[in-house]
This record gives sequence, C-alpha cells and structure tokens, in this order.
Amino acid sequence: MPNRETLNLDILGQACPACLLVALREINENRDKLKKGEIEIIIRTDHRDATRTIPDFAKAMGYAVDIKRIETYYEIKIGKRK
Amino acid sequence: MKHPQKNKRPSIAELQKENFALKEANSRYVRYIRDKVNQLLQVMGTLPLNPEELDDNTLLDFDPIGIVAVAFDQVLDHLRETNRELVIARDELQAIFDATGVGISIIDMDFRIIKCNEKQRELLVDSDISDIDGRYCYEVYCGKESPGLDCPAIDTMATGRSVIIREVEKKGKHFQIVTTPFKDSEGNTVGVIEVLLDITEKKRAEDAEKMQRGFYLAEKSKLATVIESLSDGLFVTDRDGTIISFNNAARRITGYSTTDVVGLPYDRFLGMLSGSLPVIEMNKNTELNIQTKDDRQLIISITSSLVKNSEGEDIGKVFTFRDITEEKQRQEIYYRTEKLVALGQLSAGIAHELNTPLGSILGYARLLMKNKKLDTIQKERLEIIAEQAKRSSAIIKGLLNFARQSNPSLRNINDANINDILTDVLKLLQTEIEKHNIDILTDFEETPSIKVDVRQVEQAVLNIILNAIQAIKDKGKISIKTSCKNNFVKIEIKDNGPGIPDEIKPKIFDPFFTTKPVGEGTGLGLSISAGIISEHGGSIDVESMEGNGATFTITLPINNSEV
Repeated sequence: MPNRETLNLDILGQACPACLLVALREINENRDKLKKGEIEIIIRTDHRDATRTIPDFAKAMGYAVDIKRIETYYEIKIGKRK
Repeated sequence: MKHPQKNKRPSIAELQKENFALKEANSRYVRYIRDKVNQLLQVMGTLPLNPEELDDNTLLDFDPIGIVAVAFDQVLDHLRETNRELVIARDELQAIFDATGVGISIIDMDFRIIKCNEKQRELLVDSDISDIDGRYCYEVYCGKESPGLDCPAIDTMATGRSVIIREVEKKGKHFQIVTTPFKDSEGNTVGVIEVLLDITEKKRAEDAEKMQRGFYLAEKSKLATVIESLSDGLFVTDRDGTIISFNNAARRITGYSTTDVVGLPYDRFLGMLSGSLPVIEMNKNTELNIQTKDDRQLIISITSSLVKNSEGEDIGKVFTFRDITEEKQRQEIYYRTEKLVALGQLSAGIAHELNTPLGSILGYARLLMKNKKLDTIQKERLEIIAEQAKRSSAIIKGLLNFARQSNPSLRNINDANINDILTDVLKLLQTEIEKHNIDILTDFEETPSIKVDVRQVEQAVLNIILNAIQAIKDKGKISIKTSCKNNFVKIEIKDNGPGIPDEIKPKIFDPFFTTKPVGEGTGLGLSISAGIISEHGGSIDVESMEGNGATFTITLPINNSEV
C-alpha cells in the first residue's frame, strides 16, 4: 500500500460555521487524492458542534470518518471509504 | 435626471445622490450574498455566519458558496455511486431469489402477498394467474377464502417466532413449510417470510418403502406360520452355529422350549439330546438316539443343509428332524422276525440234514444190538454208538434252542399294559389283516400293568395272531379278549379257521413243527412264543376242534418275581 499523506488541519479556537467551511475547503482541494486513498485529513477542533457537522457532511460526500477525543480537543480523521 | 451637457460637470448633489444609490445597491448585493450563504449553511445543518466573523472582503475571498458547491458535487457523486451499487445488489438478490430451489414468499400482516419468487409461482400459483401482488396468500396459494386454522403464518404473526410444518398437502403436492417473522428496526413483526420445500418425491419414495416393508413383513409372517405348522422339527443356526429359531414341532418332539434352546450352540443342544457330540452330515439323514426333556427315549432322523443369502454366501444352517421311534420299532420287529426266520430256515435245513444220518446211525446201532451173538465188548461199543448218536441229536436240539433264543438285544423289562401291546401288534399286522380280508374283534378288559419285556411279548403275540391269519387264509374272523383273574392276565386269541386236528395238537409248540410245505414257514413261530411266555412265568394253551377254528390262551402273571 502506497504511503498515505496526512494533512493536519488545526482549527482549534474556531467556531461554527467557519470551522465547517474551512474543513470543507481542505476536503475539496484534496478530493481526488482522498478518493484514491492517497491522503487522509486529520482535523483538530475544540468546537463540539463541529464533531457533528463535519462528519455528517464528510460521510454524505462518501468518505470514511473517525472521531477521537483527546483531552481538551477532538480529532476528526477523514479518509477513503472502505 | 437631467441629461448632462457635454461640458457640464455633475453637481456635488448629483454625485452624492449617485453615491448613496450605489451604496444602497451594494448593501443589497452584500446582504443577498450573506443571506444566501447563511441559507446554504442552514441546509448543511450548521449555524449561520456571524456578521462579525468575516468582513465582506474576507467573505468574498473565502468564497463560501464556491466551497459549498464543490462539497455538494462530491455529495452527488457519492449518491450516484451508491445508487449504482444498490441497483447491482438488488439485481443480484433478485436473481438469487428466483433461482433458489425453494419457494419464497413474503406476506404482510393482512396476508397480502408482497413478494413471491419464481419457484413459489411454479409450485403453488395456478398458471392462469399472472398478477398476484397484493392478493391474499390463502387465496392464491391454498385456494381458500380465509386463512386455514393450522396456517403457520398465523402462529408466526402472533408469537414473532419461526414455525416449521413438516408435511402438508396443497394442490396435490406435499410440502415442508417454514415461516419466519419479518421484523422492522424496532423488532415488531410486520410481515412473514414463507419458505416452501417440495417433498412430494421424497414422500412418494417413503410411501413406496413403507409398502415394501409391509409386503416383506407379511411374507415373513407367512413363512413363520409355515415353519411353525411343519410336522417335522426344524431349527436354524447362524453362521457361528448358534441356534436362532426353534419351531413348534421341534418343541413338541424334544420337549424343550424356545427359551431353553435359542442362543445355544447347536452341537451343545445335540449333546444335550443325545449325550454325545454327533456328526450330522449335510443333506443326508443321520439317525440319533435322544432323550427328551421329559426323559422319553426317542429315535430321530436328522439332517442339515446350508442356508445361503441372495449373494450365495453361507449365513447359517437349517436342521430338520423327525421322530422315527415307532418306525424303527416296527422295522426292528420285522428284521428280528426275518432274522429268526432265516436262522430258523438254516437251522431247519441243517437239522433235517443231520437228523437223517443220525437216524441211520442210531437205527443201525440198535439193529446191530439185536444180534444175540454179540460179546459184551461189542454190545458195549454199540451202546456207546447209540448213546452218542442220541447225544448228537440232543446237541442239535440244544443248538436249535440256543439259535431260537439268541437275541442280541438285552431283555428290557418295563411296566406295560397288555391291551396296549395287543393294539400295537394289530397295527403292525394291519396290512396282512387287510390282505386276507379278516375282521378283527377286540374285547379288552381293564387290566393292570405287568412287568414284561415288551418287545418279546409283542413277538410272542404277533406269532400267534399271524398263525391265525395264515390258518384262515382268506376271509374270516379273529377275536381277541383280555381279562384279569387271580393275579393273572389272560389273553384269548380265537380264530374261525380250519382248526387243528387232534394228532397235531401236542406238536404245534415244537420247534420246526409246521404243517406248511417245505420252504414255507419254519415251524418256529409258536415255539418261540411258547419260550417267551414261559420265561415270563406264564403259559400258552390251545383249544381246537377240526373244522371249528382254534383258541390260543396266554396267561401272564401280574407279580412276577422270576422276571
């Protein structure tokens, strides 16, 4: 399996809807790589609502989403759908 | 607005107005953009943008509408792909659904058919019905107007559990039905899945097998009846020689019950019967002396043969036997009589031959002795000659006596009833009696049993009766009477033959005395009878008048210390 790039997006401190739009922008710019499985995006946010809106949309767009809680913030991993 | 002149510059008031209008228009456009962005954000399920969050220029640079558009493009792509996959999956399922060998049907809680596969159609739907969706399952499948009382779907609907019916008949075929509940995401039963398996062929095979088994059992029972009805004893052993069956006649003859015998090795059983280990040859009759369970002595004729199965392998042996005791006894008596007859004839021949020269010797010795001119020595010598001749004659007589009496079988003393003995003897002579057209009259009194050698007494009585038959020659009457008096049993045998002339009467019990021509009869019969009776401590007498038949009277003691 080819090495996957990881794109880290830090939107700690940002509130909705800006965090959603920023996340979407990153996804859009990497849509081809994401679809092929060449990249995965890890988003860090401390905004609780973002853990609902971002995964909802990312899934509707056909990506696999994984959410982890790390102490004071959340990590949302977006990658190719299995 | 006034149309400006070519060289006239617009007034400040006009510019102010224009500016104001442009500002207003601008606000409207910005407001529109912000409102639409917020509308989009709302659709996406997130909060609207705070006006303070992004200023107009940043907002435009940020291009939120563009971002959302591209995002939705991906969403649409994903939808299309998912739809494609769903269509393929659905087609696959449909193919499996139709290709399966069982009938599958799905009904709702009102018994209406939601789905039905090809096999189900083939099995239960009449060919003239094409559209069955929405119709009642009991109508289409079962040809009924309402659900049957034992319909498993009702059960499944009520209990939410699967139900199996192992055999049911519908439209001339036999099926196994399984109904499973179809539940929604909350676990409520909203329909029933019915699976139908056609077991008609299997049932047909089972029924055929049952019928075959029935025939087989009937034949088996017929065979068993035949075996039980046989008059010959029959027992069967398996390959190891263990007795596995023992028929009715075998039980009757040997006195042993089935439980006594089944399970024993056959040689042990034969050992029990005969006291030794006999060798029974295959397909040949072997004679065996046996003792029954109730201590009767019998002679049986037994043979065995192999039992083979349909492939020709040996699976055991079958033994058949028959009680030949009576037959043997009869044979023995006849053989003995014949032996005696032969011996008697031989003896008679010899005696006749010897008597003549002896007679001459004696005669001439006596003649010579009459000569007065003999001296003492000569007289003595002649006396010796005469004596020796007489002695030789006595020896011959003794030899003849011995020949008559030499019977290799030991004397067998038993309690017997004279009436039974007479009955048996009459049976033995049945053929002769019929041949000579003789009527037999019997008058048997109740007599106690006496201790005798049954064979010998039979022989004695037989000779007398045979004598009577031969005297009568053709058509006559013999009457036999038994009675009991004073510690003696009396037998009177009377015939209406020609009778015995007086001059012969004293000689009839002499050995070799016969009135028959030479070669016919030996003259031994009555002498043998006399010998036997006297040895039993009894006596024989005869009364007769010429032309008026003869009566032989035998007396035998009841308590015989001599015997």
